[in-house]
Amino acid sequence: MHMANELLSVPVAAGTLGIAAAGLGLICRKARTIVTSDKLALMGILGAFIFAAQMVNFQLPAMPGTSGHMVGAVLLAIILGPNLGAIVISSVVIIQCLIFQDGGLLALGCNIINMALVPSYLGYFIYKSITNARSYTPLRFYIGAALASVISIEAGAALVPIEAALSGVLVVPFSTFLITMLGVHLLIGTIEGIITVAVLGYIKQVRPDILAEIIPGKIRLTKKTVLTTFLILAVIIAAGFSLLASDLPDGLEWAYAQRPDQPDFSPAVENKNPKINAVDEFQAKYSPMPDYSTRTAPIGQTLQQQKELAAGWTSFAGVIGSLLTMAFIYIFAWGLKKTKRQEELNSN
Amino acid sequence: MHHSYIDKFSYQNSIIHRLDSRVKVITVLIYTAMVISLPKTYLTVLTCYLVGPFALLVLGKIPLKFAFKQVLLVSPFILVLALSSPFYDRASLTVPFGPITWQISRGWLRCCVILAKFVITMLALIALVSTTRFSALLHGLQKMGVPKILVIQLGFLYRYIFLFIDKVQHILQARAARKMRNLGFKKETKVAAAMLGSLLIKSINAAENVSIAMQARGFDGHFRTLTKSKIKANDIIFALVAVSLMIFLHFIIRPVMT
Repeated sequence: MHMANELLSVPVAAGTLGIAAAGLGLICRKARTIVTSDKLALMGILGAFIFAAQMVNFQLPAMPGTSGHMVGAVLLAIILGPNLGAIVISSVVIIQCLIFQDGGLLALGCNIINMALVPSYLGYFIYKSITNARSYTPLRFYIGAALASVISIEAGAALVPIEAALSGVLVVPFSTFLITMLGVHLLIGTIEGIITVAVLGYIKQVRPDILAEIIPGKIRLTKKTVLTTFLILAVIIAAGFSLLASDLPDGLEWAYAQRPDQPDFSPAVENKNPKINAVDEFQAKYSPMPDYSTRTAPIGQTLQQQKELAAGWTSFAGVIGSLLTMAFIYIFAWGLKKTKRQEELNSN
Repeated sequence: MHHSYIDKFSYQNSIIHRLDSRVKVITVLIYTAMVISLPKTYLTVLTCYLVGPFALLVLGKIPLKFAFKQVLLVSPFILVLALSSPFYDRASLTVPFGPITWQISRGWLRCCVILAKFVITMLALIALVSTTRFSALLHGLQKMGVPKILVIQLGFLYRYIFLFIDKVQHILQARAARKMRNLGFKKETKVAAAMLGSLLIKSINAAENVSIAMQARGFDGHFRTLTKSKIKANDIIFALVAVSLMIFLHFIIRPVMT
């Protein structure tokens, strides 16, 4: 589910980075009152645990050769509470980006929202509303944990195509991408639910004291937090549905509402995105059959053709120039190393 | 056990390594944004954008073979995404390139552009983390206003990840040595749950011991370090060079080539 840079446009990446940073900042400020110095070590080590837990794979049923692994956001939210859980999972996502390069640097905001913030809070909210202190039964505890895992993973997965569609980079129709993501992550979420319940069951058997502190807790989410969460989710879902709605009439056309090849076609949506315009322009420029008619002039003689050839030469020059620059830098660095070694030899 | 993590070159010493981490983070972030904002169907201009990460890697004495290997390792997902575009976009294009002209479908062109952007942004990221020590990176992030709890959390995480990866590899090896066949979903899940559960209990115990040890040494939630990160002349020169390269690429190369 790690998104790459290429799935996003710069405004969406900046926006989501901003939202993630603001969210994390708020959570950290809030957590300052809860966190004691001994909690710091626990949080850090549980983060490392999540890392290691994601390496434990196991065979999936029905599909030989595939294996699943745990994600662990809901498990952490249950053990640490949503605030600390969100901080730990966010730090895992950041390390995955920086050290292991899962997901791009620009997509970090999206990845934190999809995999840390939404699963932690949504998962914890679902878990808590099913398992509340007054009517606690072990069955409810397990059902709550399982449902929280499935729904929170689905919610995070649904955000991926929405963010990509908002960026306008989708080649695949939006609904296809959404359905694929939801389908695949339903399976992942179910596995996650099963394994979360199994781990909680194991801990309950072996070290019941770890879970004892958690179960009789009260709902720690205030009404305000819940309302804000729902508001944000509503906005995101509304944005997603409006895209889906405009997607329904004719597949990809929403991105190409302004069609240069049909001058009479009055666009329903005026699209001012420079990238999309650039693509259209490109198509108009290089299309072998502009305006659905074959070229009247022979190749190599029209102004258009001359322009095209000139563009070809510019790009050729650009590539050669870049390669030469890189060669120069390489030789320069090599020379630098050599003189340094010489100096070291001389000083010795 | 053996780990292949990408920051193993961050303890070297070079011009790039000595730079302040904040300058590098901001430069790489802006550069990535510039690459991503390029049009989707221009392949050749991306070669010019390769110069930046390439210079960082070479001057930082990072072996290019290592960098490209890392890019390959993380590419499967983006490969699937990129290869799906030729199926949806079959409009044919004539692409002139210097003395040669050839025909290509726009889907394939977009596929190549996505892959090229991926390689460039990943190389930039590799250049950043393999020329900056993680502790220096965290210090820089804290100076830039990242909350202290998150910075401490990242520091702890980085310290214990490799320890836990080691632990889990031992557990996985033990399972592989005992399990000779597929046990069926129920048994598999039970085994995995027991592995994860025992790992979780181990980690909670470890956390208790670590926090007792840290409190015994006077830890009160603050890390006090001797290093003072100051912007030096080298950093300013690097920033100037980077900014002029970016201006050159954005305002001269980009309009000419696209």
